[in-house]
Amino acid sequence: MKQEEFEARFGSRWNEFASWLAARADARSARKAAAGSSLLAGEVPARYREICQHLALARDRQYSAELIERLSRLALSGHQLLYGAHGGSLAGAGAFLLQGFPRAVRGQWAFVLLSALLFFGPLLVLTGALQRYPDFAYTVLDQHTIEQFESMYGDGSKKLGRKRESDDDVAMFGFYIFNNIRIGFQTFAGGIVFGLGAAFYLLFNGVHIGTVTGYLISAGLARNFFSFTAGHGAFELTAIVLCGAAGLRLGWGLIAPGQLRRADALRTAAVKAVPLVAGAALMLVVAAAIEAFWSPRTEIPPAVKYAVGATLWAVVLAYFLIMGRRRAA
Amino acid sequence: MMLDTARDVPTPEGIELSLRVAGPVPRAYAWVIDLMIRVAFAFSAQFAIGRFGKLGWGVLLILWFGLEWLYPVFFEVYWQGTTPGKRRMGLVVLHDDGTPVRMPASLTRNLLRAIDFAPVLYGFGLFAMLLSRDFKRLGDLAAGTVVVYREPATQHAAIPNAPPSMPPVSLSLTEQRTVLDLATRTASLTPERAQELAALAPHLTAGLQGQAALDRLLAIANYLIGRKG
Repeated sequence: MKQEEFEARFGSRWNEFASWLAARADARSARKAAAGSSLLAGEVPARYREICQHLALARDRQYSAELIERLSRLALSGHQLLYGAHGGSLAGAGAFLLQGFPRAVRGQWAFVLLSALLFFGPLLVLTGALQRYPDFAYTVLDQHTIEQFESMYGDGSKKLGRKRESDDDVAMFGFYIFNNIRIGFQTFAGGIVFGLGAAFYLLFNGVHIGTVTGYLISAGLARNFFSFTAGHGAFELTAIVLCGAAGLRLGWGLIAPGQLRRADALRTAAVKAVPLVAGAALMLVVAAAIEAFWSPRTEIPPAVKYAVGATLWAVVLAYFLIMGRRRAA
Repeated sequence: MMLDTARDVPTPEGIELSLRVAGPVPRAYAWVIDLMIRVAFAFSAQFAIGRFGKLGWGVLLILWFGLEWLYPVFFEVYWQGTTPGKRRMGLVVLHDDGTPVRMPASLTRNLLRAIDFAPVLYGFGLFAMLLSRDFKRLGDLAAGTVVVYREPATQHAAIPNAPPSMPPVSLSLTEQRTVLDLATRTASLTPERAQELAALAPHLTAGLQGQAALDRLLAIANYLIGRKG
């Protein structure tokens, strides 16, 4: 069949498909698109396959480049419409929080464990060691920083954990989001360097937090410090560990790709790691809210804060251990 | 064809779709446009919110966080794979298989900007792009995404009408295709250039010169696509 005849015979069918696609793009729903076009939504897949067939024929018969271009544009649009899954709905977000996130975390338990070791290991070791050698704090942090921490958790302060007591709660909320989630994201991204970046951030934060904790305990400020950190600790520390775990997972894809090419292993690793970061970012938002609006209050007795903190730890752990184990009906 | 930046994606229907991958330069332009939009937005927000004092600062910091990390993700997922900058440059982000980008992949490629951007101005990203076949920065490699040109709007460059005439010798498919390509492009070429190209096929034009040779090729093209006289 010559090109002219081919176009004359099928051109109107291609145009129908094209106008359906255009209507679909405007209407954003298949039902409305069908109303403005002569094609029924149910006929579209068959029509798409016809276009694929015509494209193959046109290529094989060396029809003009312009015709092939026209057909491949139609085929590409159809391909994107039929095979492009739709997402980003609220229901999807709900399913992620109720099932997807805890499942993803349990699925990567080995990396979560490793990440927790890298973070809590130095944290606990330094906290303990500083009870014996408090001066070691000056090896890790400079004098100015230490004095700042002492004043933040000093007995006289009206609001705990603030460099300036006058700092506004909302401003601090914004700052915690801006700063902490960024660090979480960087920890994950650093993991692509064979996991080294993630490991570095985990160790660095473990050492830093361990030193501050140890020093403040040895300075007799434990009560103030823990009554501040008790509330948001469950969310913030867990989120740091999860970001680190995601970074380590990413790096492990490159270190030990298994049967895959490294490029494919990296992609597979990212698919498994990204839910951890997304969930951790949401946890950091919760942590920022607690840290800004609840933790600094000195009028709340420490005992209440400890109780709330312990409850939140229990909630977080239960969430990751229990949620999403049953298949959704 | 070997140096082409086309990337073929096989589909379940047994055909290959051709995507035209975009290189570092248009992508850098797109990034600069997005950057300017973000900076302009941040400044005007600062102007508007800044007078609410410390409370305003909290809101601004959250806004900055959003502009830095969530702006590209939001647009790519909810605006057909483009950010304003990419749309201006005619670029679109797709999965490797040619389908529109979704949340997980978009999040992956945009969070990894943190590494691609290092050590200065997308140094690692550029390095990765130059090494990979489809101009992928590290974020694209991990997310399984490609940045491609959106297909140009249809330009109907039909083959000019001429009384069809049979070629003097039988032509292979590739030769037929070459004649058709020339005929399609005649409208967009200067007459001199078109005639120059027509002169490259003396065995088809049989000694004709200039416009006459071109007309002869157009006639053959009309015959090849099957127009009746």
